[in-house]
Amino acid sequence: MIDFFQTLIEHAPDWGRRLLPATGQTVLITAASFGLALALAVLIEFGRTSGVKVIHRAIGGYIEVVRALPILAVLYLIYFGLPGLGVTFSPFAAGTIGLGVVYSTYLAEVLRAGVDSLHRGQREAALAGGMTPLLVFRLIILPQAVRVVLPPLLVSLISLLKDSSVCALIAFNELTLSGRIIMSESFLPLHIFVLVGAIYFSIAWPMSLFVRWLEPRLNRGRRSGHGGALGP
Amino acid sequence: MGYLDHLLHFAMPLVVAAGVTIEVSVGAFALATTLGLLLASIRFFMPSRLVRLPISIYVEVFRNVPSLTHLFIIFFGLAYVGIRLDSLVAAIVGLGLIGAAVLTEIFRAGFEAVHIGQREAALAVGMTPGMTFREIILPQTWRVTLPPIGNYAVQLVKDTSLVAAIAAPEIMFTARNLVVNTFQTTLVYGIAAALYLAICIPLSRAIRRLERRMAIPR
Repeated sequence: MIDFFQTLIEHAPDWGRRLLPATGQTVLITAASFGLALALAVLIEFGRTSGVKVIHRAIGGYIEVVRALPILAVLYLIYFGLPGLGVTFSPFAAGTIGLGVVYSTYLAEVLRAGVDSLHRGQREAALAGGMTPLLVFRLIILPQAVRVVLPPLLVSLISLLKDSSVCALIAFNELTLSGRIIMSESFLPLHIFVLVGAIYFSIAWPMSLFVRWLEPRLNRGRRSGHGGALGP
Repeated sequence: MGYLDHLLHFAMPLVVAAGVTIEVSVGAFALATTLGLLLASIRFFMPSRLVRLPISIYVEVFRNVPSLTHLFIIFFGLAYVGIRLDSLVAAIVGLGLIGAAVLTEIFRAGFEAVHIGQREAALAVGMTPGMTFREIILPQTWRVTLPPIGNYAVQLVKDTSLVAAIAAPEIMFTARNLVVNTFQTTLVYGIAAALYLAICIPLSRAIRRLERRMAIPR
């Protein structure tokens, strides 16, 4: 046990120099794909509320298919499969698109819960009371929707951070792939992956604690609390 | 005819690999539900901090680190200290341990959903704590826990694709090998994706139907 930590500390400066930028790449692809997923989710939500039957059907099919595919299969299809049809992406682009597409279905569900939690009458009443649509959105809709939407959005962000590790398998040089490369040079798999795990943990755990701290505070004053976030 | 032969040539090994995917899923699901129910029950019966703390640490560590990292630690890391696991065993143990952390939380929420008054009443009429748990709490827990357990099951089937990284011969690993030999990337990964659709869509529909049947009528 003491040996283990001695070896770890011995290698820490050298490994740290390489793992730190890799952590940056992990954070970068997490942020980029979360942005894409959110944008797609907003589109999905607009489509769902549009009331056009064809769009409704298409969205239902999209969600069912994407939900049934592993992230790895989506990434392989985009990174290795699409070049066969003449479309080529860099590992970063393929990872961002793949994670963005997969998470758009989760985030769409989160947004839907947010929109559904508001009674339509509130908007109508505010408009009737003479507020401009922008004012209604800012003062009536947004403050209430954020309460419902923010905790599950953050939970999804944590999942996304963890799932970004799958991009290692399409040769995107993030934290997990860097760990694998260092492992094949140093032959110290236990040390390196405990360290890699610790880095992920040090980002994800504070976020988890923050969500747990935030949720009851956002729900304060609401008569019916919604259930805790268990998925995705 | 030529194209059909071509398709079958790729599809057959992948269908065989789908069997491995299902095997790993079932094995990991059995381990995860057993261990998850056990840990949640221990936490339920023993409110002592000494018992809760290790369980909480287990849950937090497994839920805040990527599955891939855990799989690498279990497969490569344990081999380093002399515990060499077969890649299939490592896959089932790894995914099972990760799932147990998820299910511990699901069962905990399920137990908490049963009003404490019921437990007190059962104890007051002379039932033992064990009987109260078995006869009163557990049967009601299923209704609350079934939807999240169903979601977890579908997620698990998809997550078995990750064990390709530790060379377990499931769908994605087999697909990768086929591609290395033939360069038919689009076709092979297309078939692989279709196989996941063929497993996961019926599974999630069946779960949704079961959920509706178990739901409390309004």
